[in-house]
Amino acid sequence: MNEVKEKLPVHKPKKSGAQLFSDLSMPILLLLLVIVFAIWSDKFLTAQNLTNILVQNVHVAVCTSAVMIIMISGGCDLSIGYQMSVAAVLIVKLISTDHYIANPMSPVIAIILGILLCMLLGTFNGLMSILLKSHTMIITLGTMAIFQGISYLISGSKSLSKAPKSFMYIGQGRLFGWLPLNVVIMAVILIVVGFIMGKTTIGRKVYAVGDNPEAARLAGLNVAKIKVLAFTFAGLLVGISAVLLSARSGSANSGTSGPGIEFTGITACVLSGVALKGGEGTLWKAIVAVYVLGVLSNGMQLVGLGTYPQYIAKGAIMLLSLYLSNRAAKKA
Amino acid sequence: MELRHITKTYPGVTALDDVTLSFEKGEVHALVGENGAGKSTFIKVISGAIHPTKGEICMEGKTYDHLDPAQAMDLGVAVVYQEMIQFEAMTVADNLFMGIRDERGLVINDKQREERTRELLRQFNCSVHPRTLIRDLSMANRQIIEIAKAVIKDAKIIIMDEPTASITVEEQANLFRVVRDLKAKGVTVIYISHRMEELFEICDRVSVFRDGQYVATKRISEVDKQGLISLMVGRELTETYPPKPPCGDEVVLRTEHLSGNGLTDINIELRKGEILGFAGLVGAGRTELMHLIYGAAKKTGGKVFLNGKEVAVRSPGDGLKAGIGLVPEDRKGQGCFLEKPIFWNISISNIDKLSHGTVVDKKAEMKQAEDYKQQINIKTPTLQQFAMALSGGNQQKVVIAKMLAAMPDILIFDEPTRGIDVGARHEIYQAMIDLTNAGKSILMVSSDMEELLGMSERIVVLHEGHQTGVLNRDEFSQEKILTLASGL
Repeated sequence: MNEVKEKLPVHKPKKSGAQLFSDLSMPILLLLLVIVFAIWSDKFLTAQNLTNILVQNVHVAVCTSAVMIIMISGGCDLSIGYQMSVAAVLIVKLISTDHYIANPMSPVIAIILGILLCMLLGTFNGLMSILLKSHTMIITLGTMAIFQGISYLISGSKSLSKAPKSFMYIGQGRLFGWLPLNVVIMAVILIVVGFIMGKTTIGRKVYAVGDNPEAARLAGLNVAKIKVLAFTFAGLLVGISAVLLSARSGSANSGTSGPGIEFTGITACVLSGVALKGGEGTLWKAIVAVYVLGVLSNGMQLVGLGTYPQYIAKGAIMLLSLYLSNRAAKKA
Repeated sequence: MELRHITKTYPGVTALDDVTLSFEKGEVHALVGENGAGKSTFIKVISGAIHPTKGEICMEGKTYDHLDPAQAMDLGVAVVYQEMIQFEAMTVADNLFMGIRDERGLVINDKQREERTRELLRQFNCSVHPRTLIRDLSMANRQIIEIAKAVIKDAKIIIMDEPTASITVEEQANLFRVVRDLKAKGVTVIYISHRMEELFEICDRVSVFRDGQYVATKRISEVDKQGLISLMVGRELTETYPPKPPCGDEVVLRTEHLSGNGLTDINIELRKGEILGFAGLVGAGRTELMHLIYGAAKKTGGKVFLNGKEVAVRSPGDGLKAGIGLVPEDRKGQGCFLEKPIFWNISISNIDKLSHGTVVDKKAEMKQAEDYKQQINIKTPTLQQFAMALSGGNQQKVVIAKMLAAMPDILIFDEPTRGIDVGARHEIYQAMIDLTNAGKSILMVSSDMEELLGMSERIVVLHEGHQTGVLNRDEFSQEKILTLASGL
């Protein structure tokens, strides 16, 4: 083969206009929304409000990274909301100065317990999907009901509150007097997740398993193990977002600390181009999509469109993004 | 490497029967045989994709009773599958390195990966950027990537399943150069192909399979094309077929330069009461042609005439309306509603006619099912039985009844007896002949040579989307068909 050693021209794959647009569509959409609401409401473009949007969506962003990992591995997790709710009520119950238990624990230990529990629930989801060989959407619909029950059993369907100050520092503390601590935590976690998914062998294997499980099997990968691992890792992230959420108010409630977040997370993922069949998805785009949804809610609130019109807007956006991704798939 | 006494049985079928075969270092060894001869099953045993029922695999002095994919990979076996099972949304570099263990650590060094990919592809004379996504590549380049994958893994045995099926002549020359180069490095290449001329160009030895059995291994210099073909067919015709009265002259279906769905320029004529057989190897386009006629695929050129009038059949609904019925190839996937009762299956294609308004007339539905049960002899204690609980042959009869209920004149049978035992087969043959006596005409696709020869009045032979011949009954021979089907 030595005779063909002459250099061949190797061109970098060029990005088509459509691809470039899909790469930038989330930032563009975010910018458009910001401009629209800035014109519409004079309260929108203030430092206070923008910080609010950032801080209020910290747990959504971390949770969306979990949703994305599972979707990339070829699954879909509807139980994430109640998974989060279980961890949130458990942690607050263990540490509350209202003495739900005789001797409240140190927040550090409670946080570790809560996160471990979430990892366990995630692993359970993963194992079930391997054992039952059914679509994970249906499996997690089942486990969602289980987690819901567990959460209400822990909370006694009461709103739990009065977490100690040290715990609430995670949600309300400011570094140097101005930088919200929870935003820093979010940034660190997302950078770590981005690194794992983009730069490590395990991340690459998760993409591979979602892209083509048969090819993965033939490449000698342990498909079942990788899938379960993806769920466990997602559980870890869900546990962290439970901490971030409950530390902001110092309280937790089975019905509101988490449930519904799976919808926002899946919407953000689909909007940002995470493939429903698995194998495709980019973290930063999904996170920008979270803030697209966050700005939409916030802006609509400010201009006097309440919660219910927001539901309609979010649902419509979800359907619209499905239509757009279908069209993109057809072109490819 | 040596494989001894390999047997693989599936319920009711023996896919491989006591095959013993050895491969030498640095040889290109071809496996040939008709459809279903057991070649694919055999390579799956080598690659660890399936476990043999019996037998042993010896490699480098060790003996295994089966291999797993990871194990086979460690032993240096790599497969280039025909359908190219790859990660579509991932880059060329990632596809090459997936599952490779010699990369140290957890963190991926993308630069180094790309550099190695570039170097490797240069050897193959392939100018693809490492960061291109697999789905943006041509079939030939995807093939090169698969072979490169085998090289990167330092494979000692590379299995290529129909590597030239989807590439052009120039690309083929490139591929052969790669194969020769691998051979020079001492790699064993196991080469499966339906294209005879290729074998003589590239292979050292050739092994012939027939009906799951190993027939012979020859040096390629010792045989010629006709010799190989006779080894592949050398089968005695044992079955008997019910007698069929000759058909008339009236042409009911005619195509003129019909193209589309992978086929080019098909000209066939079907006469009233005729059984017209379609022969060809896997990938010849037989099923595709049936779908084209039925309206399940889009034609790109040519004309279809029914009873002398040109028709436009654009969907299966159009096909049914025009009087064409299809008994599909995949009985369980496309033919039967397995978890529904027999009567339900039979009436689904004409349920509108059995209804008053929108309410189904249960009596008429049951009567129709009963009639067909008698007519084509469906063996079942009750029509309430789920299709799932029936034998393959009776399921097939249910599918036939379903199609008949739509009252077609032209019937397409795609592999009508695949996976059906001998007794039930005969009943299906009898049913087909009864139908032609009743004035229906049949197009029959079959990979079973005996069935084609025994049932058809004429046989159309296809090769890679082209019509290579039409044989009349007095010209029928296995050699002739296989020669035409191989495109010789």
